[in-house]
Order: sequence, then C-alpha cells, then structure tokens
Amino acid sequence: MADEPYKTWQCRTCGYIYDEEAGDPNEGLAPGTRWSDIPADWICPLCGTPKSDFDMIEL
Amino acid sequence: MRISDEIARTIIDPYAYADGKRIDDAFAQLRRELPLGVAQPEGFDPFWVVTRHADILEVERQNDLFHNGDRSATLTTIEADRKVREMMGGSPHLVRSLVQMDNPDHMAYRRLTQGWFMPQNLRKLEDRIREIARGFIDRMAAQGDKCDFARDVAFLYPLHVVMEVIGVPESDEPRMLKLTQELFGSADPELNRSGSNDQGTEVGVDSIQSVVMDFMTYFNAMTEDRRANPRDDLASVIANGQIEGQPLGYLEAMSYYIIAATAGHDTTSSTTAGALWALAANPDQFAKVKANPALIPGLVEESIRWVTPVKHFMRTATADAEVGGQKIAKGDWMMLCYPSGNRDEAVFKDPFTFDVERSPNKHVAFGYGAHVCLGQHLGRMEMRILWEELLPRLQSVELDGEPRNMVANFVCGPKAVPIRFKMN
Repeated sequence: MADEPYKTWQCRTCGYIYDEEAGDPNEGLAPGTRWSDIPADWICPLCGTPKSDFDMIEL
Repeated sequence: MRISDEIARTIIDPYAYADGKRIDDAFAQLRRELPLGVAQPEGFDPFWVVTRHADILEVERQNDLFHNGDRSATLTTIEADRKVREMMGGSPHLVRSLVQMDNPDHMAYRRLTQGWFMPQNLRKLEDRIREIARGFIDRMAAQGDKCDFARDVAFLYPLHVVMEVIGVPESDEPRMLKLTQELFGSADPELNRSGSNDQGTEVGVDSIQSVVMDFMTYFNAMTEDRRANPRDDLASVIANGQIEGQPLGYLEAMSYYIIAATAGHDTTSSTTAGALWALAANPDQFAKVKANPALIPGLVEESIRWVTPVKHFMRTATADAEVGGQKIAKGDWMMLCYPSGNRDEAVFKDPFTFDVERSPNKHVAFGYGAHVCLGQHLGRMEMRILWEELLPRLQSVELDGEPRNMVANFVCGPKAVPIRFKMN
C-alpha cells in the first residue's frame, strides 16, 4: 500500500480535488492520507457532497 | 420569534447593503439575539432570516427539503411576485436558470456544463486569462498614478474573460456590462433602467423584464448562430446541449446564457474591487501579500469572504423541518444571509478584520450543497492570476476618496474604488 502511487479524487458536485499526496491539513487530513483511510461519513469540505459521490481522476 | 420591524426593514434595504456598517450591525444583532427568526416587513410575505453559518449549511445541504424553485429564489415583494406570476403564467420566476431549478431538472441542466467548469478543464484557459490580465494592468499603469479601480479594471477584466468564454464579441461587452448592471442594480437609481427607486413595484418588474428581454433577444440570435456554426465556446455547449435527447427549452437556454453573462463576471468584479479597497485600507495586509506571493490564494479567499457579492438566496421548505432548534413549516420561505454567515463569530475569529492569512477560511460565499456556485473555480482562477500579475508591479496603493457600494440587496459590491498608486 505504502508503495502504491498516490491518487486524486474529485467531488462530482463542486470539483473539489482531494490529492492523497498533499492531504488536506485544514480538514485534519495529513499529507499522505489515503482515500481508503478517510471515514465513509466524510463529506466534501466545499459543498458537503458525500464521499461516495467522488470520482478518481487523472490530473 | 419575530424579528423587530426596524431590523426587518434593514435586512431588505438596498441602502443598508450600500452602507455596509448598517447591514453588518443588523446581522450581528440577529446572530446574538435571534439567529433564526421571522421577518415580516410591510409589503412582504413573512420569511425566516437565517443568519448563522451552521444553519445556512444545514439548509443548503438538504436541497430536496429546501427548494429553490417553489417560490421566488430571491427576496421579492407581494406586489412584484403577483406581477411576475401574471406575466409568467403562474411561475414566480422571470427566468429559469440553475438558480430557480430543483431536481431532477437541476442535476440534468447542471451536468450540461459541469465538466466545462471543472479545474482540469479550466487549466487550458490559464495562459489566455493571464494575457488578458496583463493587458488591463498595462492600461492601469498607463493611466498614471490615479484611477477608479472598480470602473477601470475590476468591472472590465472578468467581463472580458467571461464574454470570451461564452463567445460574445468584444464589441458587445459594453452592452453586456450595462445590461448586467441594470439587472443587479435594479434598486440603484444610478444603474437601473428607470433612474428611480422602484424596486419591488410593478414598474420595477417591468423594468427588469425589459432588461431580460434584451438579453434574450441577443442570446437567441447567438443560439441560432451556434447551432449553424458550432465553436469551442460555452454558447455552443448551451445552444447544442440536450436534456433527455431534446434541445434545451427556450426559457431554460436563455436563462443559462443570462446567468453566465451576468453572475459569471459581476461577482468576480465586485470581489476584485473589494479586495483592492481592503488592501488600500489595510497597508499591513498589502505589504504581507506583496512580500509573499504564496499568500495570494489566501488573499483571494479572504476577499471572497469579505465582499460576499451574493447577499442572499431564498429557499422554500417542502415539508415540516427543524433547523437551528426552530420548527420550520412546509411552505415557509427562508432567506439565507451569506454576509452574516461569513461574519459569524462562531466560525471566524475577528470576522470584521480583513486577514489574508486567515486559515481555515470556510466561507459560504459560493453557497453549499448541490447549488454551490458552478463558476467558483473560474472566479478564483481569474482573481489569482490578476494578483499574481498586479502585485509585483504595484509599489504602493492608497484610497483617493471614499469608495462607494452599489445599492442592492441581492448581488452587489463596490461601484467606485478611487485609488492613488505607484506602479513599475
């Protein structure tokens, strides 16, 4: 897992991008936090969309 | 639970928003004493006034429970509502854009342009937007040491970007700016079509309707052109878009253009003008961000919170509900007061201080939930690029007279920001 490349995920509603490598310290997510380690009830910090409505994207 | 008549009159008064302090004081008092109460100013149906950040999020998050389209999506008088319904076959809306829609239409119509407004698609515009920004900054420098930053830069730069994105030729930009200011400045005698204060009256509705008709005439011609000759612009996406295999309805298509051609630049203009006003009034903040360009995204975010160009939207409860400890009944009308949410002491430390280092800065200026601003990434990008280009050249800036705000209670910001500056 630790060797897997970091991935990015995007909110379908507002376009917020979660980058595993950068994390989101303002949301309490340290750099390197994997998407799978974020709780299922987490919501998009910009618009409140549920985690299940994010898509993995290539940037 | 009823808000005093004096406060109720203030929160609907376009001149209170132009004054700034009067509206801030009224909302601060409500947050302290009655954060979710009912206002019933003369001439209006009663409505809940939602002033707390948390309550605004709670309402916006539940877009099936709190609808945009069941009643007017903006604050309106009984007289104006009756007039609009007469004109529109019973509908409370003069236009039908994403703002007036609920699901399933809202989702279907939003999807049409959603991908276009995503950050990864906008990156292709970065170089062109930077070129446009440099052009306006060169023109500012050529003016010498004084200008009205609102009129000379802030109104024109986002206008040019958005019109190019839509596909409106540069020669038509003055017309689009005038129509936008007539629409959003409908309460401002200096900007509206009638030249008098007639907001909320039948005359005022006629005046707004005539502005809307001018927009529709223009964009109907553009639709026909883009159907015949599609290009790589937003107008072609709207003109050739389909919902469930059918072209967009006439009202919906025209409304799509109108919201893009008005809210798409006016909000960014207001925020940009308000940002420079704040920097000129707070030399320490100007020095900080000038010395450290890494603070520019913070400047952008703080200026969006500071100006909050969209002052409210209305929602209508589709069922009995509870928000912030208050019982909301089915059919109740609710005013989401974004400037108040963005000064909420429970969320923002020293909310009346302009702080480019504010972090976190989870303002509600773009809304929240399914209706969150579609153009937020474009707006942020335009402002970031402008400051990246302007700040290295701007050696000093100070106010050269009293800035003035537009008179409006829906979408507004500064209309004059006179400055004296030195540039290289």
